[in-house]
Amino acid sequence: MEKRLIKKDALAGIAKKMAGDLLVWAPVKKEDNVLFAPLGAGDEPFLAYLNTKNAPKNVFFPHTETLMKFTRTPKGMEFSSEVNKADQSVLFGVRPCDAHSFVLLDKLFDQEKYKDGYYIDKRKNTTVISLACVKPPYTSCFCTSVDGEPVSADGADILLTDIGGDYLVEFVTEKGEKLAQYFGETKADAAADAKKAEAAAKVKEAIASKIPAHEIKPILDVNFDNPFWNTIHGKCLACGTCTYLCPTCHCFDISDEVKGSDGVRLRSWDSCMFPLFTKETSGHNPRSSQKERWRQRAMHKFKYYVDMFDAIACVGCGRCVMSCPVNIDIRKIVADISKL
Amino acid sequence: MQNPYIPYPVVVDKIITEVDTKDIKTFRFKFVNPEDEQKYAYMPGQFGELSIFGKGESPIGIASSPTQKGYVEFTVQKAGVVTSALHEMEEGTVMGIRGPLGNSWPLQFLEGKNIVIVGGGFAFTTLRSMINYALHEDNRKRFGNITVIYGARNPGLLLYKDELEAWAKRSDINLNVTVDKGDATWKGREGFVPAVCKDVAPSKENAVALICGPPVMIRFTLPVFFELGFSKENIITSLEMRMKCGIGKCGRCNVGSKYVCKDGPVFSLAELDKLTPEY
Repeated sequence: MEKRLIKKDALAGIAKKMAGDLLVWAPVKKEDNVLFAPLGAGDEPFLAYLNTKNAPKNVFFPHTETLMKFTRTPKGMEFSSEVNKADQSVLFGVRPCDAHSFVLLDKLFDQEKYKDGYYIDKRKNTTVISLACVKPPYTSCFCTSVDGEPVSADGADILLTDIGGDYLVEFVTEKGEKLAQYFGETKADAAADAKKAEAAAKVKEAIASKIPAHEIKPILDVNFDNPFWNTIHGKCLACGTCTYLCPTCHCFDISDEVKGSDGVRLRSWDSCMFPLFTKETSGHNPRSSQKERWRQRAMHKFKYYVDMFDAIACVGCGRCVMSCPVNIDIRKIVADISKL
Repeated sequence: MQNPYIPYPVVVDKIITEVDTKDIKTFRFKFVNPEDEQKYAYMPGQFGELSIFGKGESPIGIASSPTQKGYVEFTVQKAGVVTSALHEMEEGTVMGIRGPLGNSWPLQFLEGKNIVIVGGGFAFTTLRSMINYALHEDNRKRFGNITVIYGARNPGLLLYKDELEAWAKRSDINLNVTVDKGDATWKGREGFVPAVCKDVAPSKENAVALICGPPVMIRFTLPVFFELGFSKENIITSLEMRMKCGIGKCGRCNVGSKYVCKDGPVFSLAELDKLTPEY
């Protein structure tokens, strides 16, 4: 597909122009954090970011969304499945690790038998523009250990790579090509490709944090009862920050809210780290302590997802490592498992 | 394509109080839109999400058989928010049901085999669906001998009393109903389900056992069947887990690499041996 070049300082203006025509989600500075949020008309994205505090999964799978509406009538409830059609949107400036998470989430939400229309609709109507990492954003990044690369078009419709004074613009999919009009007229030459390849190789080398993510699968297969699982959760507060910030965590709750005669059925993010997640009405809880919950989180990412979808459910963004209030480090857990 | 999160509207057509304690009722639902009945084509052993707007949803096994046309039935114990609200419902009320969800009793595998059905207490509901399905004139010849061992704590807690009477009169089903403790009017068998299983001693030859009941019943019944020579492939049960979506997405009933809602709830003991014991 086609490739173009744009001047580095033109990028923010391009996002701004798009935001005049479409709903554009982009990195925005809010107090001390950089978050993905819709750009207001005339706003520019914040491009001096390493990565965003939150993962962009909320664009396709919001914290809370309405599944259906209902109204009380004398004969009981009447309900409607009317769902707002997703707007044509752009997700601008996604790091390749986060774009990789969309490919992983698609496997769950877009299965052959049960399709999740709420997710799929938003995903289909959103063009993902990835902004490659030409320097490792954090020392906690470990994308190269979990099938990712800092310069990668996986999950992207357009890939932007900083090659010095310019960004190389690669249209990866037809959906991406439809936005070609925003990226000027300058065609990229072979020299630009070479610069990109050089930058990609260099940054890949610079990702220093490496974990044996693939190697632990056969170990997890036979170590469900290993006493090792007693050693992780001791300091865990069960706050759920790791699952909240994780680009691939997708567990949710369904609940009803009523106001007067009208109500909505909502789905909201939930977490396997919470005791109530699996607690049954009888009082029985199959995962009764934080030990079982931590084992579930590790197993689900590095074994169960691999069994089900042939992919590790971790993209190596390091958000859980950076934000855990008690410094539980998934990299150390994986390394320790590899020694069992 | 049908949105799997949206229930079909149904009318509560009939409510039958099953037990003396009045906390287990059978709800018969009719579809508000008759064409939805086709879409809700189910097999014995599947479950549905009963949906009460403003309260939420509860996953419950389907108690009627697909051979019973025009309605679908669920037998529900009053326990949590949704089931308590359901127990307060009146006939004629409109609510919702989602599904059918999950796999079913393995009908193809059961074809041509002798079926031993063991149920304890309230867990008898999807077994009742299976019995009515197998006894139906269109299906009876597809299966061999049918032996049923069903127990409750006392006579007042037996479900489906009219059907038990009707089955007892048939010659093509070996029905053994037992109670832990009888009362003044009880003329039937007394004893715990595992003991009755030992007594009835169904043959393992060309036979499959479907076993559902409280954990304590399961724990003492399984050794009886192992002693009778049943293999783990030929002992089949149905799991319960906390569920929300029912379609393998929300993560709640994830056990090992399976989702109980989508890959179960019916599993053989051989399959359960491969699962992590987290249910």
